[in-house]
Amino acid sequence: MKSDAMRQQLVHLGNGAHALATQILGSTDDAADAVHDSIATVLKRPEAFDPSKGSLKSWFLRVVHNRCVDQLRQRRQISSEVDELIEPGMGPEQSLEMAQRDQSLRLALGQLRNEQRQIIVLRDYMNLSYAEIANVLDVAQGTVMSRLHRSRLALKEELTRHEK
Amino acid sequence: MKNDNSSIDQHVGEQLSGYIDGELTQQERQRVVLHCETCEQCRQNLDEIRVLRKRIGDTRLSTIGADKWRETMEDTTVRTSQSIGWILFIAGLLIAFGIGLIGFVSESGMSLGEKIMIFAIYGGLATLLFSVLRQRLIERKSDKYKDVEI
Repeated sequence: MKSDAMRQQLVHLGNGAHALATQILGSTDDAADAVHDSIATVLKRPEAFDPSKGSLKSWFLRVVHNRCVDQLRQRRQISSEVDELIEPGMGPEQSLEMAQRDQSLRLALGQLRNEQRQIIVLRDYMNLSYAEIANVLDVAQGTVMSRLHRSRLALKEELTRHEK
Repeated sequence: MKNDNSSIDQHVGEQLSGYIDGELTQQERQRVVLHCETCEQCRQNLDEIRVLRKRIGDTRLSTIGADKWRETMEDTTVRTSQSIGWILFIAGLLIAFGIGLIGFVSESGMSLGEKIMIFAIYGGLATLLFSVLRQRLIERKSDKYKDVEI
């Protein structure tokens, strides 16, 4: 793939990648850094992308996902603190500007486990197919549907609780 | 019939998600459709997941615009060209230093003592310059606020 075409696609993927990274890292700033670094890595070696193995979208998101996981490992928070995220990345000023509805969804999303947040963002925010999600998260394709369904039910429950 | 998630799973469960996402086989789709025709609970869940899905899609989960990523690309290009520039500059410097050093050592008009003294002065200056440059580079890399405009 030509570097210019890749750049164009990466610009469009940036937002979704940032949303995914925010859900993993719990901070919009750290997420922006992770996406920034991922873009730099990808552009340094664009030939590493093999179109025969899947779309640029899923490949790039996998790069972002792996970078975030590495970052979490460095922080040594992978198992405990990540699951305790309350409100991924929203500052007070942003919160004021956001509609109440969106805010409660973000809050509810923040109550889910990390893997649940990731799969919801990948499917419902970024519209990835189950095969692409399996590729990004490095899980079996058969796992995706059940994990996604459980995550959606969990989110639905959290939303009901928040909006009562 | 119980109205909770566990009872949903006894029905078509996760296939509801697969159905909404268009990830089921024809046979599985038919099963979901047939089941939902008679099961109000599953039908309701199907609708709720659809609404939820749309809501997530409409929510802004990232507040960073595409311009930021365009800037990132430009930034990366600038950094790459800067790196190439630095490599060429350092390589040139090293070659010039090597040629100078060979010329200096082979210079016959100076005694060994003079050579050692001159080498110590220039070597010391070069070491000091290198350490200052190194320190500046480390500070530049680790300064979180370098992009903050005052």
